[in-house]
Amino acid sequence: MKMIKLSKLLDDLLLNPSKKKKIKILVDYFNSIETTEKELALSIFSKNFSTKLIKANDIKIMIKRKISEELFSYSYDYVGDLAETFSLLWPKRKEKKSISFLNFMNSVAKYDNKKSLINFLEKTFDNISSNEIYVIIKILTGGLRVGVSDGILKECLTKQGVRNKFEIEEYWHAFSPSFNNFFNWLNGAELPDNINKKELFHSFMLSDTLDESQIIKLNIKDYLCEFKWDGIRAQIVVSNSGRIYSRNGEDITNSFPELNIKSNKVSVIDGELVVKKNGKILSFNDLQKRIGRKKVSSKIIDQYPIHFVAYDILFMNDSDCRNLNLSTRKKKLESLLKILNVSNISLSPIINFNSWNDLKNLRSKSLNNHIEGIMLKKKNSLYLRGRPKGSWYKWKRNPFFIDFIIMYAQRGHGKRSSFYSDFTFGCWTDNSFKNLVPVGKAYSGFTNEELKNLDRWVRSNTLERFGPVRSVKSSLVVEIAFDNINFSTRHKSGVALRFPRFSRIRWDKPPNEVCVLNDIKKLIN
Amino acid sequence: MNNNWLIKKKEGLYCIPGDFYIDPIYPVNSALITHSHTDHARPGNRKILGTPDTINIMKLRYGENYCQYSQKIELGNVLRIKGVNIKFIPAGHILGSSQIYLEYKGEIIIVSGDYKRRKDLTCDLFEVNKCHTFITEATFGLPIFSHPDDINETSKLIKSINNNSNYCHLIGVYALGKCQRLITLLRKLGFNDVIYLHRALMKISDYYIDRKINLGELRNISELKTTDYLNKLVLCPPSSLSDRWSQRFRKVIKGFVSGWMGIKQRIKQKNIQLPIVISDHADWNEILTTIEEISPEKVLVTHGREEGLLSYLKEKKITCSGLNLIGFEDEDD
Repeated sequence: MKMIKLSKLLDDLLLNPSKKKKIKILVDYFNSIETTEKELALSIFSKNFSTKLIKANDIKIMIKRKISEELFSYSYDYVGDLAETFSLLWPKRKEKKSISFLNFMNSVAKYDNKKSLINFLEKTFDNISSNEIYVIIKILTGGLRVGVSDGILKECLTKQGVRNKFEIEEYWHAFSPSFNNFFNWLNGAELPDNINKKELFHSFMLSDTLDESQIIKLNIKDYLCEFKWDGIRAQIVVSNSGRIYSRNGEDITNSFPELNIKSNKVSVIDGELVVKKNGKILSFNDLQKRIGRKKVSSKIIDQYPIHFVAYDILFMNDSDCRNLNLSTRKKKLESLLKILNVSNISLSPIINFNSWNDLKNLRSKSLNNHIEGIMLKKKNSLYLRGRPKGSWYKWKRNPFFIDFIIMYAQRGHGKRSSFYSDFTFGCWTDNSFKNLVPVGKAYSGFTNEELKNLDRWVRSNTLERFGPVRSVKSSLVVEIAFDNINFSTRHKSGVALRFPRFSRIRWDKPPNEVCVLNDIKKLIN
Repeated sequence: MNNNWLIKKKEGLYCIPGDFYIDPIYPVNSALITHSHTDHARPGNRKILGTPDTINIMKLRYGENYCQYSQKIELGNVLRIKGVNIKFIPAGHILGSSQIYLEYKGEIIIVSGDYKRRKDLTCDLFEVNKCHTFITEATFGLPIFSHPDDINETSKLIKSINNNSNYCHLIGVYALGKCQRLITLLRKLGFNDVIYLHRALMKISDYYIDRKINLGELRNISELKTTDYLNKLVLCPPSSLSDRWSQRFRKVIKGFVSGWMGIKQRIKQKNIQLPIVISDHADWNEILTTIEEISPEKVLVTHGREEGLLSYLKEKKITCSGLNLIGFEDEDD
């Protein structure tokens, strides 16, 4: 396959927003290439391919040797995509050779130091079209950004062989990053010997959002209630080597070494990762410091000790528990935790309640800052993959709503690259209503029509421009919805909001009716 | 600006000794108009001066109230207003478009208006004139913009029509200039089918035909039944591509002819399947070549991507500054 074909594929994926169309395009593509190419393409699309030698910054350095820093940043700001900016700026030569995808990838694999790889790339770029340069940069920097999620990929793969969605979800990470033999397995071959089936990820059971109007239809005695922890869903596999998986089956063992528990019998538990220090669960902001690390220093471990709140069990000492009902599984889980006797894993407590009103009160009192609501789970439900109807419900507490003032606006990326779509909002520092302090950033919650109006408003109310950012007149009030609020040392305001988004744009509201910082701090607990 | 006789006012560029504005954004007593696009040629001025095509098209678009008095000046002719020698010279942008050449006490300033350097069958080629100060537009003033060959881009459209005979091709074009240029390119490449136009494109195209520009057979889209859309080429204003009007076309490939279509993220925003990169503005290299050929003592940059061009010119030690004129549509290509 020629590289130019991959470039055409990325364009097609970018220009067809519908999921159905994307799947068709990808399936056609996979059907048209060789197995080795499929394996490579899959590792690229699933973000598993990386050279480790080259980072986005090296790409920037390369192009800045050809063009001034300032011109580059104006161009990048306009285009909103590094690979595309780079490919458009690389000096063009008349003679163009089309290169082979496989040859190129094999060549890249041979390099083991940055300097010689960059040298090779520069020579290659001089002889190919800008569309091919674009593809190569996308591959090397890891983010294709053409709207192909793991979900779409998995769906395509179900059409490439005989495996179903769950089998693919549970096993495909075992083949990453290179996906050798993956397509053989997909077509019915046995799992390769080097893959230990027991240690693999097992698809999670997910919950539905509770529709409050339906609550009377539920039989109160059938359900048990627990807190909905504001952490990260994870699966701990206790085994010879020990594994921890994220919600989508990614191996995150390296980020959380404290929870890597080894045993010669396999047990699998389901729960929530949180940070717990001196007996207190810390906020989601603190948990974020632990996410996405390939290596964790002892300092970080001391500062942000990880804790696992366990609420379900899938395997206990090599035996499958998924066909047992929830009440039985809870007992098994309790006894397993006793056997394991690890201080940083605890059982998620069960909340007693006698009526729906009890629950409503509990939920609306909004508990505390590491709990985002409550969960209702049917006592006789089995552990089923996916989102089985009527088994588990999540009932999040209502978001907070507060009016803020827009302070800065920044151009978005991707399909919003020409719109001012990322907004920094703030409130008054005190009752003199003179100074504003930024409190957070929001870039969702408005319609396309509102986005156009916001963009127009920003352009005609700009005070100053700093590259892609504009400061604007302190006159536009927006109602921001957010799930939680906490103290933060990282923010000038001293508070951090969880998932802030637009709720309403209050075009007519005068800015001096917006509250001051102290009122907002009072919300914390 | 350093020179003291052409200055920026809130209405636009103002020539003090001549007491006139150039492409003002608010109505003024006396205005010189570079070309008839609506962001440069606005209605309501008392007196206007422009090329015959510019004046005629303004009248066609705005009706009798386009101004109180108009005066036509042929390209290349010189006119003297209160000690300022004025000449309209071809800008290569659209039919009737011009640069405005001003000479006062031996100092020459050229206001480029909008321009391009490529050949266009619907208007005269840009003319290079020496001057002290060149005021250039910068719509595509970043090195990421390099417009491809317009013949190749037009072939892409013809190829898509031939390969997708059971689809209607709905192509967004600006009503004045781009529409007619695309049609002449299609005809040049031997595309002789009837081309259907949205109502908003008819008036201007008829004017081009009156001016002896060969556009072949054009028809109003309202003459076509909904069942007969397949395998037809329909041109419409860009805004119509996404409004309710376009929903009548069931099996449709949407295209957009614009210089912005060279940027993938822009194509995605517009929800376009067939991007055609043809522009009536100079791309980065054309702007630089133009400045080099004119080699003025000083370059002033107006609307568009001013910062990029200024940064480059400063790096090359060319005296320059930004004008920050407002009111010119960023997206009008």
